[in-house]
Amino acid sequence: MKKTINLLTAVCFLLLVFAFTLAFWILPDTAFSEEENRSLAQFPEFSFTSLADGTFSSEMTDYFADQFPARDFLVGIKALSETALGRGENNGVLRGEDGQLAVRKFRVYESLLHQTADMDYYYRDNVALSLDALNAYTASETRPLVTLLPPRSVDVAASAFTYPGEISDELHSQIAETISPETGYIDLLPLMRERYDAGDYVYFRTDHHWTPVGAYLAYREIMKGFGLEGEILPVEDFTVEEIPGFRGTTWSKAGYKFVSPDTIRYLSPGNEDDFETTCLSVKMVKDENGRPQMVKEVYKSFSGWLNRDYFSAKDKYAAFLDGTHNEQLVTKKTTDTDRERLLIMKDSFANTLVPYLAEHFDLVIGNLTGGTANASELAEEYGCTRVLVVYNWENLITAASLAAIK
Amino acid sequence: MVFSSLLFLFAFLPLTIALYYLVPHNKWRNWVLFVVSLLFYGWGEPVYILVMLASIAAAYGFGFLVAKYRETNVRRARIWMTVSLCTNLSALLFFKYANFFIANLRLIPLLSEKLAPIEGLTLPIGISFYTFQIMSYTIDLYRGQTDVQRNFIAFGTYVTLFPQLIAGPIVRYRDVDDQLTGRRETLDLFASGARRFILGLAKKILLGDAASRVYEYAKASAEFNATALGAWMVMIFYTLHIYYDFAGYSDMAIGLGRMFGFRFLENFDYPYISKSITEFWRRWHMSLSTWFKEYVYIPLGGNRVGRLKQYRNIAVVWFLTGFWHGANWNYILWGAYFGIILMIEKGFLYKKLEKLPTVVGHLYALFLIGFGWIIFSHTDIAAGWRCFLALFGVGTNGFSSPVIRYEFLHALPLLLIACIGATPYPKRIWDRLGEHDWISCGSITPYGEERPITEDGLVLSTRGKVVAVLTTVGCVLCFVLCVAYLVDSTFSPFLYFIF
Repeated sequence: MKKTINLLTAVCFLLLVFAFTLAFWILPDTAFSEEENRSLAQFPEFSFTSLADGTFSSEMTDYFADQFPARDFLVGIKALSETALGRGENNGVLRGEDGQLAVRKFRVYESLLHQTADMDYYYRDNVALSLDALNAYTASETRPLVTLLPPRSVDVAASAFTYPGEISDELHSQIAETISPETGYIDLLPLMRERYDAGDYVYFRTDHHWTPVGAYLAYREIMKGFGLEGEILPVEDFTVEEIPGFRGTTWSKAGYKFVSPDTIRYLSPGNEDDFETTCLSVKMVKDENGRPQMVKEVYKSFSGWLNRDYFSAKDKYAAFLDGTHNEQLVTKKTTDTDRERLLIMKDSFANTLVPYLAEHFDLVIGNLTGGTANASELAEEYGCTRVLVVYNWENLITAASLAAIK
Repeated sequence: MVFSSLLFLFAFLPLTIALYYLVPHNKWRNWVLFVVSLLFYGWGEPVYILVMLASIAAAYGFGFLVAKYRETNVRRARIWMTVSLCTNLSALLFFKYANFFIANLRLIPLLSEKLAPIEGLTLPIGISFYTFQIMSYTIDLYRGQTDVQRNFIAFGTYVTLFPQLIAGPIVRYRDVDDQLTGRRETLDLFASGARRFILGLAKKILLGDAASRVYEYAKASAEFNATALGAWMVMIFYTLHIYYDFAGYSDMAIGLGRMFGFRFLENFDYPYISKSITEFWRRWHMSLSTWFKEYVYIPLGGNRVGRLKQYRNIAVVWFLTGFWHGANWNYILWGAYFGIILMIEKGFLYKKLEKLPTVVGHLYALFLIGFGWIIFSHTDIAAGWRCFLALFGVGTNGFSSPVIRYEFLHALPLLLIACIGATPYPKRIWDRLGEHDWISCGSITPYGEERPITEDGLVLSTRGKVVAVLTTVGCVLCFVLCVAYLVDSTFSPFLYFIF
């Protein structure tokens, strides 16, 4: 009997080890993970130099991790096990009522060289640095200006979680204390919280962005900020187009496979075909005298502001403005060539504002997080008469892009 | 390479098991172990294989000389032993401690400009462990407690054996010398090895790493908002983390050893149930304590000398123990801390504690162990001191903050499981459930029937069978769960939308 049991144990152990091993080597490699939104490591090239300096072994480790069989399934198992342990969160993502997910912990940077563990707190100095730069820029900017700092899901959907909101409050009040009135700062937190608590679908449950509805609320605030209340388009002017099955970045990070997907309710003005969006890449070339010169090339252009291909892929939010481009973008109405121009210095939250704002202005878009920071130069070059800054709290905590604005 | 990695579990391990059991003879099996162990060791930094091989070759070569003279000319044998030990120690001193000495010498004004730290000097993995193993061979040989090993591969296998190579246990040569050439692999040993390995893997991944995340969180949060609860979390979860991490690693090593026919001695014996620090050090990292006792404390005279010399011996051993753990002042302080406590216990406290209710001893030991881990986990001694003071609310912003409370409450289930798991009770209960009903063959059942005779002479009641099958099922589930955690830790969604 004892022999039988031991045989069973040994066979089970060997089966497990060899089954995973065989599956790993037999199953074909995947090139791209939709779930993680990145290319997966491939079998590393072997050479004696790469073996000697250790690069082969570290690449091999990556290859093994990335191509492991049943990867998504196992990630889900881990999330279930954490749930069973009563953790209420997984991989730093909180799970609240109605499957509302929100990233709780962030990796914050003390400086560019030093990064700490994922946690709730943030460095006040880093935020102050960004806000001071914004204040300095707006002090010299004479064009009408509006600044939106969209809060994170964890701040807006606070009522869905038992997680305490002290960090949200601290950040909220630091912004209020530091930001100068010249920035045209609009505090979105009370509005978004109120609408979220009232049951409006203002932020996605499975993604860290606001929804088109949330963006519409922000759009109204922007128009008010510019003193154009009268021109605000009522929500009834838009037709709702539903794109179901959106599993966003927070969903991927959390690993809670049982949380149901979002539906994107795109508010369509119905005249997308009258618009065109152009991506311009900036290159440095040398002229005949050997001096470097800046040249702009059209890198991509498409009708309207949507790339509908993304609606059938996993990254559905990327449909807005064709995802994230580090290049400058220009969205113009082709039927009317003489409209006012608005410069948007932004992160990805602004992508869903485009459908509303494009009805009023031609848009010149500079991506702050893509390294475009020279707002004055862009405004000058395109003859923009207004400026909008959109930069969400998460970036404020974890990135330093805004600190370069001028 | 580390055991708790996908590459080890699903490339290295199956390859090793297959090769090992495919070659027929023990002699060739040692070859297999030697070669794969070098591969295991050199995976991250192949260059240091040479350092290790040089150390092995030195001890192997000098071993012949020590053995040659130990009967006829003790003085010469002693000289060769010293040469051998110095060769081994010099590698350890250079790679592990050179920069520490240089950094401290540079504090002397005149020397600061003349000395420069040696650049690119990284610590070869496991050097502290394998150096001690090699030294045990030389010393045992000199003392006549073992015979010279003529087979280089067998000796090389002893030192490089991947299960214990990089984190112990520190196997004394004389504990395994016959196993090197004359071990027998059996199904029973393999199965118990597999169970032990999975247990260790689960300890490390499911409990050790989980405790580590809470610890890291609390420690990082203290930089922003120091609270007393946060400091307690640092202490408690580090205490759990280091136990499950290290004991888990030892379990994996022992289990892997068994899979290849080796029987290593135990390394941990429920250290956190100790009632004194003296007892704690008999239960924690036993192979290291034994090593120091055997090769330092007793040669210095041990307990058989006057009081004063005894204290000196304790001081020497605990300075070395601390320093062995790392080339930094906090480890020296940590060693000194335990040295002083042990002297006090030896002086009078141990006897006093024995007379008091056991709960007093438990609390006393746990607190002192915990304080010790604060010293150990803060390489910055000032930060460790702040953490210690914060336990008592000194220099904090109140007892707790909402987020710290939130984190603590959600870590409670883990805390509970980890605390229970650190006692012998779960194992004792499980064993009793299962083993209770093993009955020797030929006995009579309550219904008067004679039990059938089985090959191993034992029959098992239904309950015993259920428990045995459940153990296997539990192992399978644990293993899959561990793999899930490993996979999840490599899962890194690239959130480019943010940018």
